[in-house]
Parts: sequence; structure tokens; C-alpha cells
Amino acid sequence: MTTPYSFDEFFATNKEETVSPFLTPGSRKWGKYLSLRSALFAGFLLACSFVLSFYSTPASLVLLTAVYFLAGTPALINSLHDLSNFEINIDVLMTLAAFLSVIIGSELEGALLLVLFELSAALEGMVAQKTRSSVLNLHKLSPRVACIIGEDGIVYQKALAEIPIGARILVKAGEIIPLDGQVIEGRSYVNLVHLTGESQPLGKTIGDEVPAGAGNLDGTLTISVTRTSGDSTVSRIIKLITQAQDAKPKIEQFLDRFGKYYASTIILLSFAFAIALPVFWGLPYLGPEGGIYRALAFLIAASPCALILATPTAYLSAISSCARRGILPKGGIMLDAVATCMTVALDKTGTLTTGKLTCTSIEQLSGPPLDPNLAIAIAASLERHAVHPIAEALTTYAQSRQIQILPVENFRSIAGYGLEGTVASHPAIIGQREFIQEKAQVSLPSADLMATYLYVQGSLFVFHFTDTLRTDAKKVIAHLKKNNLRVVMLTGDHASSAQAVAQELGIDEVFADLRPEDKLAKVTELAKEAPLMMVGDGINDAPALARATVGISMGKIGSATAVDASDIIFIHDDISLLEWLYKKAHQTRRILRENISLALGVILFATTPALLGLVPLWVAVILHEGGTVLVGLNSLRLLKK
Amino acid sequence: MKTDHFEGKSVLEHLKEARAKGGLAAAEIHGTEMPGHLSAAADAARDTAVVLLFLWILFPVQPALFFLFAAGLFLWKIGRSALLGWARLERLHRVIEEERWEIEHQREQEREELAALYQAKGLSGKLLDEVVTVMMADDNRLLHIMLEEEMGLALEIYEHPLKQSFGAGVGVLIATALFAAGYFFFSPLVATALTLTMAALIVAKLERNRRIEALIWNLSLVAFAAAAVYFLKLTIL
Repeated sequence: MTTPYSFDEFFATNKEETVSPFLTPGSRKWGKYLSLRSALFAGFLLACSFVLSFYSTPASLVLLTAVYFLAGTPALINSLHDLSNFEINIDVLMTLAAFLSVIIGSELEGALLLVLFELSAALEGMVAQKTRSSVLNLHKLSPRVACIIGEDGIVYQKALAEIPIGARILVKAGEIIPLDGQVIEGRSYVNLVHLTGESQPLGKTIGDEVPAGAGNLDGTLTISVTRTSGDSTVSRIIKLITQAQDAKPKIEQFLDRFGKYYASTIILLSFAFAIALPVFWGLPYLGPEGGIYRALAFLIAASPCALILATPTAYLSAISSCARRGILPKGGIMLDAVATCMTVALDKTGTLTTGKLTCTSIEQLSGPPLDPNLAIAIAASLERHAVHPIAEALTTYAQSRQIQILPVENFRSIAGYGLEGTVASHPAIIGQREFIQEKAQVSLPSADLMATYLYVQGSLFVFHFTDTLRTDAKKVIAHLKKNNLRVVMLTGDHASSAQAVAQELGIDEVFADLRPEDKLAKVTELAKEAPLMMVGDGINDAPALARATVGISMGKIGSATAVDASDIIFIHDDISLLEWLYKKAHQTRRILRENISLALGVILFATTPALLGLVPLWVAVILHEGGTVLVGLNSLRLLKK
Repeated sequence: MKTDHFEGKSVLEHLKEARAKGGLAAAEIHGTEMPGHLSAAADAARDTAVVLLFLWILFPVQPALFFLFAAGLFLWKIGRSALLGWARLERLHRVIEEERWEIEHQREQEREELAALYQAKGLSGKLLDEVVTVMMADDNRLLHIMLEEEMGLALEIYEHPLKQSFGAGVGVLIATALFAAGYFFFSPLVATALTLTMAALIVAKLERNRRIEALIWNLSLVAFAAAAVYFLKLTIL
């Protein structure tokens, strides 16, 4: 059975032909890295043309026309687009220089400019494509349809946008709740970790409110819709993200800004030299010693090959190095932005902690004494049949203590409530406080959110859980502080839980009980004081991630919304990479500066003698290309892990 | 008539092929390219063979001229085939973008269109409402349906423009090589006939048309055109 074509990737990639719905799947690969392949082929033809130029000029020119066709046509189209927008930039300068070089008989030099220019554009395209395709692979779709229960009881799908308030929707175990609503039938545990940062799932039953975006864990729920999709919790957060993105400081690439001034200046100077040299120095206008020739030579020599390659080669090398480590920046410029950050804001659940629960202890509360190991065996044997973070934590706890799982008879699961069964002839029940109180008719102490209760033939036990800290989190915090970065924790979880984690990790500033809008406000406030990077994973972090100077999300545990809103993704959720990323960002910045200085130095060194007629044009071009090679080699240093 | 309706394919694949076939059958004959690198190769080979034949009739003693002409034709055919392919892709991508915009912003009108489409297929009343609601539920599915049912477009049937142009290049090369062999070793007329025979048979097979008829019509046409050129030359020059 063929899977129907999904248009999401096609539109997300801005209608790239490599994912075009109209092309046969087998032929789409013909469009892959087309610019790069075209640039490399043009480079090969240029090399052949250069060799042939020593034997047969017409034959060499045949190949050269192919180079101008392959590399020159895209450059010409781009430049005309720029000019139609009244923009004079490096692209325009390079194209102008390349085509004007034909007039003064330097076709090979012009072709070289075009090939390098095309190569640079292809590398930039590759950077964008590389990050985009990986992000798409991570993208987990949020629900766009819901199962409606019709008046006659028939269940059918309907678009979220068309579901009115009061409609009844069915949400099965494992599905995401699509719209805000009130439970009218069923019971289940729901996971709010991505929405609020609370790691403990909550039991929901008739009459309880459930928000859109929450995960339904173990039961089937029938919900009466209380808010339309436009007003749902997730939609409100997405609106916040849009507002935050608009408020985000625009990071303009230095080279773009510089390029506009540089290109305009060089073009104007060339015109000025063409007119002034004959007027003031008595040179002829035409001929190889004339003013126009020298002005054109100046224009070509000042075309910044090394400069245009300085940024994409550095970014591509840095991004490749990051990708090998499991870091995915959405564009090289984000690395630049990381290097400027003075504050780091960290979410708690899922970021500093794994979001998984760990059983820390067992305590007998009342009843005849029972071997705790037997109690653990009974609890784990029952929970082995459940799909719930607590169940996983309990079975892992039993395994770590090498306690054997026992066979269970008469097992029954009451979704969102608890489990019951007979384990090794011991009738037992396990679950949340209300369930045990009701079933065992015992009174329990005040509720501990991170706990579950076991009742075995009159003996009552409580198991305590904690959110697991990520390995290396403490080391990372210490490193960031050592680099004079201000470290703060922003969490939607309760203050007590947040303080405990912060204390253990050495974080001094903690802001707890924050709703998504509070996180956004806090990040806005902090970012006004100094550039800030925010690390988070939940939907509730997404607006703050979008607003921060740099938003970093956890790729595995992270919600699709957070991944979308962030600028950099840690694919394997490894927080220890923050330390490495910070170093790499500084290294990238340093190498970029070196590249730009080198490129400008070469241009200055090559253009002045060309203008004065001290060196022929081909010498200037060779100096140029020497600089380009050096810039490329310097960028390759960033590939090192 | 075939007894195996689906020919071993899934229902979805069968439907896709049926729609693609419908699109091809409805296509206007003149200037409409059949998608694919094989048809591009056949088309380029046929054009090259005929043009070289005309040149030979007009300038029979200048072999270099034919091959220089073929070199130019080779580059032109490759480039033009790719450009045609990209132009078609651009048009199709524009259509898909417009349809997506309509689905996002004009849902009611889309619902009406869908209802009309399925009403024409015999659905009505509550059943029609339910069918339309389910189809409208998923935008991805709805876009698929509208492209195919409303616009009569078939997905995943076109070859990449470069693959198509590669086919055109191979076609020119084959026709030129055959013509060269004909010129030096047997007869350019026979070479042209051979190229035309191959091209006509490939196209007839792809289009599932009657091969003998297609072949004879093609050969007759080229014989008629070549004869006209020859006698006009005698008349005018």
C-alpha cells in the first residue's frame, strides 16, 4: 500500500524540487545539490578551458562559454533581482566584474569569479538545506484533526478549525488532546510536562478540565470542547510565539551590511577612476594602458572572492562539526549569536532533568510489617502491565535492586486511577491517593505529588519519586559560571521542587511557577539587560525560546513547537554540549574575523598595484585566489571536534 | 479486455495510474510533451534525424556542416528540454500553492466545490455531508483530493527536468551517430528511417497506441517532407 504524499515537507522547504509532489520519487534525486554540482562542473570546465587556452583559443572559448552559461546565468538573474529592488551588493559587484572582464580580454579571470561566486552561493544553500532537512526529520506533528462523536454515535474525523464549542470528541490512549475541554466520560492519566513543566502525570476524570496539547496516557476520554481551536491553550501559546519572534532582535549578518557599502564604493570608485585617470594623469581612455582598462582592472581585482567565501565556508565547517556532535543550528549566524550571549536561562523539567521519574525510597505507613523487598516486588509486578512514567520508574527500581518480578493474577487497570491484582497470593492495589482511600477504606496523609501508594492485605506503603537530573548538568552550570555567564532557572514547576534542583546544581537565581507568558516576560526582561540564550523543551518554553537572542531546544524530549521556535537543537538532549557549543561559537567568531581581515588585506594588496598599473591583471587575480584558498583552509580548522 | 483489473498493483496505485492515463488522454496533441525521459529521447532523436536529412538534401557534400549543426542541436535540445520541464514544474507548483491558499482561507467555497464534485458522483443528503466533512478534516488529504479531482492533475508522474533533458541529449546523440554511420557506410535515408522507426515505436509503446499505424504514418510524413524539400530545391535553386 502506497503512503499518500505528505505536502508538509514540500511547503516547509519552500517548494523545493527534491520533494516536489509532481516528480516521480526516483527522479527527485536529480535535483539534489544542483547548484553545488553545477558550480563544480563549471569549475571543471574552467580548468579544461585554461589548459586548452595554451593549445587552441577557439576550443578554450567553447568551454568558457559553457562556464559563463552555467555559473553566469544564475548570477545575472540574482543581480537583476537585486537591482530591481534598488539594492547594490556584493552579488551585483561580482557579476558586473565578471561580465565586464570580457571587455578587457580577461574572460578566464571573469569566469573564475563566477565559478567561485556560484560555489559560495551553493555552499550557503547547502548550510540552509542541511539544517532544514534535519529539523524536518525531528518534526513531530501536532494534531490537526479530532475524532468527533456524532449525534448518532458515529465517530468521524473533523478539522480542528471546524469543531465548535460543545462538540464531543474522543481521545484514545497515546493521543494528544486536540482541543481544550471538559471530561464527560472516562478516566485517564494525562501528561502535562510539555505544557506546564510538571513531570508527574495527573489523573483526570469526569468534570475535570483538560488542555489542548496534553498527552493522554492510559485511558480513553470523551471530552466536551470548551474552547475552539483559535482560543485553545496551544493556539494562545503559538500566538505568543509569533509575538515573541517579532520582538526578537534582528541579527544581521555583518557581511551583508558591509557588502552593501563595499559594493557601492567599489563601483563608484571604478567610474571615478575611468574618468579621473585620463583627466588628471593624461592617460588615454581606451587601450590596455587606458583609464577604462585600469578602472575595470581595479573593479575585478577588488571583487571580494575571499570575502564572499569567508562566511559560508566557516559556517559550513562549524555546522558540520556541530552536526557530528548532535547539535543543529538553524543557520551559521546563530553560532555568532551564541558567542555574544551573557546570560543563560534554563528550563528545569526535560532540560536540566530528564523528565523521567526515579523511585528514591519506599516507606511503610501503617499495617502489619511486610518485607519492603516483597512490597517492591508486588508493586513492580503490577506496574509492569501499565504505561505510565511511575510504572517505568518502579520496574526500573526493582531491577536495580535485583528484585524478581512475580506473576500476577486477576489483574485490572482502572485508567487514570490505579491497578489491582493478586501477586504471589497477595491481593494488592496500587495507585494514587484517592484510589487507595476509596478501595482500602484507609485515610492517608496529605498528598505528595511525587508519590504512589501500595496497599497489600492491610499494609500500606508509599513510594517516593524524583525527577532525574541530567548527567553533567552540574558540570555545565559550573563551566558557564566560570565563563562569567549569568545562569538562571525558569520553570513552570512548583517553587519547592525548583529550589531543590537549583540548589543541587548550583544555580542561584530561580524563577518558579511561571506560565508561558510569565516565562516570555522574564526572558524579555533579562534579554533587555544582556543578550541571552534560553534552553528549554516544552510548549510552555516555546515563546521564551522564540524571544531569546538564541533559543536552544531538546530534540528528542522536546515538543514540536519548542523545536520549531528554537534556533539551535540538541538532537540527543545532551545538555553537556552547551559547554562545547559555547567554545565552538567563540572559535567560529574568531575564525570569521581572521577570514575577513585576510580577505580585506588581500584585496588591498592586489587592487592598489592593479590600479597603478604596476601589476598585470592576472597577477592581481592570482593574489586574489591565493587569499581565497587561505580563507578556505582557515575555515576548515572549524571541522575539528 | 484484461481480466486482472489491478494488474497486481494496489488499488491506490491503480487509481494513480488511471488518473495519469486520463490526464494524458485529455492532453492537447500539439506542443504537449508526454512526461518522461524516454519520450524526450524519442522526440529529440526524431527531430535531429529529420533536420539532418533536410540538411543533407540541401548541402549533400558538406559533412562537417551536419555535425556542427548536430552539436548545436544537442546543446539546444538538452537545455530546452530542461527549461520546459522546469517551466512545467513552476506552473504546477504555483497551482498547488494557490490551492493550498484556498484551502486555508476559503474553506466554505472549498466545501461547496467538494460537495459539487461528489454530488456529481451520485452522493446526496447526509451521506454527502459526512463524506465532505471527513474529506475536509485533513488539509493534506484535502489538497490531494482537490488537485486530483478538481484540477485533474496526477501526482508523482513527471520525471525531473534534468533526467528528461538527459533523455533528449541521448536521443540527439543516437540520431547523429546513426546518421553519421548512414552517411559514411550505407545511406542517410536508411539511417533516418531507422531513427524514426525506433522513435515511433517507443512513443507508440509508451502511449499504448497501435504501433504499425504510428510507424507508417511517421515514415510517410518524413518521406513526404523530404521529397517536398528535394523538389522545392530543384525548383527554386
